[in-house]
Formats: sequence, structure tokens, C-alpha cells
Amino acid sequence: VTPSEGVRRGTRRILEMLESLLALGGLVLLRDSVEWEGRSLLKALIKKSALCGEQVHILGCEVSEEEFREGFDSNINSRLVYHDLFRDPLNWSETGETLPGGPLEALRALCRRTHPGPVTIALDSLSWLLLHLPCTTLCQTLHTLSHQDSCRGDSSPGEQVHVLGLLHEELHGPGPLGVLSSLAQTEVTLSGAMGQASAHVLYRRPQQRPTHQTQWFSILPDFSLELQGGPPLEPQPYPDPRVPSMDPTTHLTFNLRLSKKEREAKDSLTLPFQFSSEKQQALLCPGLGQATSHIFYEPDAYDDLDQEDPDDDLDV
Amino acid sequence: MAAAATCSTGTRSTGSVVAAASRNSVTSFQRRGPRASGTDSGCSRLVSIAGTRPSVRNGQLLVSTGLPALDQLLGGGLAVGTVLLIEEDKYNIYSPLLFKYFLAEGIVTGHTLLVASAKEDPADILQELPAPLLDDNCKKECDEDIYNHKTESNIKMKIAWRYQLLPKMEQARPVSSSRFGHYYDVSKRIPQELIEASKWHGFFLPEKISSTLNLEPCSLSHSYIKLLQFIQNIIYEEGFDGSNPQKKQKNILRIGIQNLGSPLWGDDICWTENCDSNHSLTKFLYMLRGLLRSSLSACIITVPTHLIQNKAIIARVTNLSDTVVGLESFIGSEKETNPLYKDYHGLIHIRQIPQLNNLIYDVSDVKDLAFKLKRKLFTIEWVQDNYLRQERNIYPPGFSYLLKQKDSAWGEGSLQHSTFLMSFLAKATAFASRLVRHSEPLEQTGSGGIRQAAGPRLWHDGPRQEAPGLLVIPP
Repeated sequence: VTPSEGVRRGTRRILEMLESLLALGGLVLLRDSVEWEGRSLLKALIKKSALCGEQVHILGCEVSEEEFREGFDSNINSRLVYHDLFRDPLNWSETGETLPGGPLEALRALCRRTHPGPVTIALDSLSWLLLHLPCTTLCQTLHTLSHQDSCRGDSSPGEQVHVLGLLHEELHGPGPLGVLSSLAQTEVTLSGAMGQASAHVLYRRPQQRPTHQTQWFSILPDFSLELQGGPPLEPQPYPDPRVPSMDPTTHLTFNLRLSKKEREAKDSLTLPFQFSSEKQQALLCPGLGQATSHIFYEPDAYDDLDQEDPDDDLDV
Repeated sequence: MAAAATCSTGTRSTGSVVAAASRNSVTSFQRRGPRASGTDSGCSRLVSIAGTRPSVRNGQLLVSTGLPALDQLLGGGLAVGTVLLIEEDKYNIYSPLLFKYFLAEGIVTGHTLLVASAKEDPADILQELPAPLLDDNCKKECDEDIYNHKTESNIKMKIAWRYQLLPKMEQARPVSSSRFGHYYDVSKRIPQELIEASKWHGFFLPEKISSTLNLEPCSLSHSYIKLLQFIQNIIYEEGFDGSNPQKKQKNILRIGIQNLGSPLWGDDICWTENCDSNHSLTKFLYMLRGLLRSSLSACIITVPTHLIQNKAIIARVTNLSDTVVGLESFIGSEKETNPLYKDYHGLIHIRQIPQLNNLIYDVSDVKDLAFKLKRKLFTIEWVQDNYLRQERNIYPPGFSYLLKQKDSAWGEGSLQHSTFLMSFLAKATAFASRLVRHSEPLEQTGSGGIRQAAGPRLWHDGPRQEAPGLLVIPP
């Protein structure tokens, strides 16, 4: 494999990873934690969508606009439509710059957009929205957002809506996490080992078995993705290789295999509860010596041969 | 054993004897068959509605759920006026399939449908229904299925032969459209003309509730109120509750509600354990059941119980529904790699069967049912060699290795196997009974009384003796 081919293969794999994340459309849930942050992956996805020519809307709630835009070059920055909910979410300064109605209204405005064409909506972050909006409203709005194309009637694959939501796992209990996982079409959980980030991706195609894959990656300063092979392997202390386990079939005191004759004998054996014709005959016409059956009994140490019934004493 | 076998043949023969007798007119006792009278619709008291049949146990009117195997497990079918609750599997792959089977059965038998969903448009749901298998083209598929099954079930059991007497699950048979349950081909869509010929009503929540509505907290969520009103209107207008006496032909209304209890319906129960609308879903189910009991309708509901945080709500929802079926898929769980389950896609649990006009339940004896989604069919089967698995649990670990060997001298039916089994079980019971035995006699109350301690000693007839050998503390 020549180096250039390797690079081409590598770039293809990088593109594949981002494309596969965006392929299914709908809601892409990025679950991150304090150790492995997800905003850089979110920005990488935004950059990819912008380069593909989609409209990109960003609902920024957690970081300021300047901080979010830093790292993007100017042509990408010009394509991003930023809705700022960070500076003045409750509209206290009353300058009229912020969106009236707060985050819910902003989401609903995105639902009602009339521009045709594929669009990517990035929610930074879903955790902030969960804390400020009633959960059922948020779920219903997310569902409407991610299924806009089907509502419109024309569902060509180029007209897909991508909703990228960043969710901080540690802030929420199992309930919200479970609900948002069930709503999402693609779910990316960020984790890692030894300084190397990994993404565990779960694809939920409708009415098909979900598939998952794990990808080790790192994000470069210009928000392009670089795939890694895996964490640098450290020699881990393994337990001493055990004595090779004994084959239990050796040194047996009984027979483990049957010879042909033995098998025939076994198959022809009538089991005691099987009602064969000989038994029927034996029962129907009791033969000699079978008239009475004898019971041989030897009393042992615990036997109480007292014929007196102890219940006679009862005064009932 | 053999006596039982002769008995069953005996009943068949008495039936034929009676029939022979009536033919010969030897006796004046005429056996009245179920279809002895000529026309059934005229002189029978039961209204015969297409797609229904009375239960053989208590005469309750039943409709088919769309899966004849499931009908068999539920005791013949779903009773009219009851709710079938499906507990969804984790990734929601198989429960929509049961939902669609129910609706497809309604279309094929000509029932009216009411589909309610907060996620998908009901028109889209109807487009994805499976196509019914009709007489001509299903014969070759059924034949190959039966052939596959016959080759698997050739294992004769010698010691556990009673397990062979377990009733077999119904195999796919060619059906006619007048039969009670139909078979469907999951890989094909239902033909468009069948959908157009059927009567259906859809309730798609985002259309019915405007998003700018200011939701005041109330005990029953607004979506549920709207849905109940919708169902009530349909029942009243179309006369399913008998309020429209001009209707000549009675019909059944099949209601299907998808994903009830998820936040898309405006319900909080999947979100937190203690929420304001804790009782919303239970109130809805109570009112729904009231509506159903007073009308000719049957309802299927799928609920994502794996997402509900409060276990008490799951219990309440189960109690408020009549028939409860739980689906557990193996995807992502450790059972996926279990060799026992390698042929199946998940387990199906029949959690509850209603006691309608009955004193006793009709619960099936078999607890281990698994389902498999083949390319065309959704099948439900008993997990094979289940008893062997249970036996392995009581045997010491090394022994199960021997049991697994084919042709081993320790296999099924061998003398070594049975003697080992007997002595092992004897020792196990001796050990267990040693722990149960009281070592001291009970407190004496009163003058006379029982002098001996409670225990196996008292349970022998005749002079008080201990059974020799078995129940003595092993040295």
C-alpha cells in the first residue's frame, strides 16, 4: 500500500465516519461527559455540513457566540446562522436582539422555516434546553423538527433535516437519557482510554435491528476528524498463564463412549415405566409365585414399636 | 401414561360410536352438533359478526389478534371489549409488528379501524401493514416450513417422554378468508385496494393539538383528553355502542394506540419517578376501558415500559389492562450469546390474561416462549430442551459436560443416568429436610398434647416410625 493510497483510504474513512453519522437523518444525539467533551465533535459535524452546502442553524445556549465561532474559517462562519441564547436568554436588556419567547419560540421558529433544501440544526446544548423547558414539550418539538421532511410530503434524501443535539450525560438521570435515546436515530457516546477519545455509535434504523460500531478518533484544531487505530497499548499485568486445563475425558472410571453393541443393547432396553405387551401380559395373568408379595422389614434404632397411639391422650 | 393415551383415543372412539349409532338409529339420543341447525344466523342467539367467534370456554366473543399462535396462547383470541397491552421491547422493533398484525387482521375481516399515534401518521402506518397470505400462494411456503420443523422434532425422549405430549404450536396452514385467524407475509405490503376498501379513522397527535396551546397542569394530559373524546365520538357516531339502532350490520371497532406513555403524548412518566402527571396514564386507561366495555370494540396499546421510571406505575398500568404481553428482545443483552437462545430473537412473556366472567385464569402452563422474526413470518415457539437446562442447574458442574456428549453412556435413558439421578436427588432432599427438621420438640401447652415434634415423623401412617435410610442425617 503506497503512502498516498493509505492517505486516501484514511480520508475516505474519515469522511465515512462523519457521513455515516449524518446519513440517517433525524436526531443525532451526542452524549458527552466531563472527561470526554463533545463540542469539538459537534463542531466537526457542523463544519462538514457547511462544506456540503447545507444551511446550518445553531442554537447556542452554553457558550458565547465568539467562543463558538472560533476555530472556523471565514467561509464556514459566513454560512452559520447563529441564534444566541447565551447572552440574554430572558431578554432582560430589552434591546430586541434576542428572540422573543425564549428557547421554545426559537425552536418553533426553526420548525416553521420555509426554505427548501437540506438543513442542519445544531443544539448546543440539549442539556440546557432540558433544564429550561418542560420535557414533554421539548420531546414533541424535537420530534417535529427531525421529521419535518415527512410532514412536507417530499422526502427525497437530499432534503433531510439533521438535528445535532449535545447532551451532557452526567447532568441527567436514566429517564431523560432513555427517552432521548429512543427518539434519536443515531446516538454517539463519547468515551475513551488513555488520552484517546472514542465514539460508540448506535444506529437505529426504523424497523431494523440497531447496529453499532466504535471508532477511535481525535479532532484537529481546524475541526477536521482524524481516525486513530486505538489507544496505545500498555502491557497490562495478566495473570500467570494457567496450567493447561485437563481434558476431563481422560482417566474416567466409567464409560463415556458406547460401542455399537452396547448402543443396541441400550436401545432395546425396556424402561421400567414403559408399558410393553409383556408387561401387560404379566399383569393380566398373574403367574406362579407372584400372588403374594412379601415385605421384609428390619427395625432400626429409631423405630418405636409401641402400639399405643400417642394421640389417645388428647383431650379434645 | 399409557392409560392416559388410551383414554384420549377412547373419547374419540365414543364420539364415533355415537355418530355410528345415530346413523344406524339404534338409540333415540341424537347428538346435537354445533352446526346441526341449518342456518346459524337466523336461529342462533349470538350475533355473528365477521371475524369473531365465541370462546369455547365461556362463550365470550373473541377477535383474532392477527397472530394465530398468540391467539392460542391467549386462550382463543382477544375478547371484545378488552385491552391488549404490549410492553415494548427496548429498540421498538417487534412491538410495531404485533400492532400491525392486529390492524391488518381488522382490514382483512372488514372491521373498522381507529389508529392513534403521536409519532407516525396513521396513513403511513396503514401503508406498512403486512400482506395477508391467501390460499393459493401460501401453500408452498407452508410446506417448506412444516418440513423444516419436522426434521428438528425427531428427537425421541425416553425418560422425559411426557414433554413430547406438550401441544405443538400451530403451524402455518393454508387459510381461507372466512377463518378466524389469518397469516401474513411481513416482507410484502398490504395491497392498496384493501386499505381503500376498509374504513379507518386516524388520530395523529401533532395535528390535533396546536403547539401554541398553553398547557395548564391538570390531572389528565390534554392529549389523552383529546384522544378519549375522539374515540368516544367515533363509537357514538358509528353506533358501536348500540346507540344507532338503524345499523343493520354490527361490526367491531379495532383501536390501536401506539407508544402510549411516551413524552410525545405529553406524559411525564418516562422522565422522572415522581412527576405531577403520575396518574394521567392510569386515568386514561380506566376511562378507555369504560368506553370499550360498553361498545363492540377491542383495543391494542403499546407502552414503552422499559422507559417508565416508577415501577408502581408499570404495575398499575398492567392491572388496568386486561391482557398483557411483554416482549423482550435479545439485542444488546447478554442473552444474545446464550446458546440456548441462538435460534430466537427474543422472549415473549404472557404476563396477564383476564378473568372475564370466569372464576379461574386461563394461564398457559408453559413459561418459556420465544419469538423469531423470519423473513416472512413472526413465529412463537417454546424454547427447546428447556428441561435439560433446568436439570443442568441442579447437577454438579462436571456432570452437565457429560450430558452434553452425544452417544454418551450417560445420556438420556441410560441406567447410569437414572441411578445417578435417583441417588443425587435423594441426597439433595435429605440435606434439605435436615435443615427443615426441628431438633427440639415444640413447647408443651396444657396437660396432654402432642408429644412429638412437627416434622416428617408425623406424616407416616401406622406406628410412628421413620422411613428407613433416606431421612436420617447423613454421617
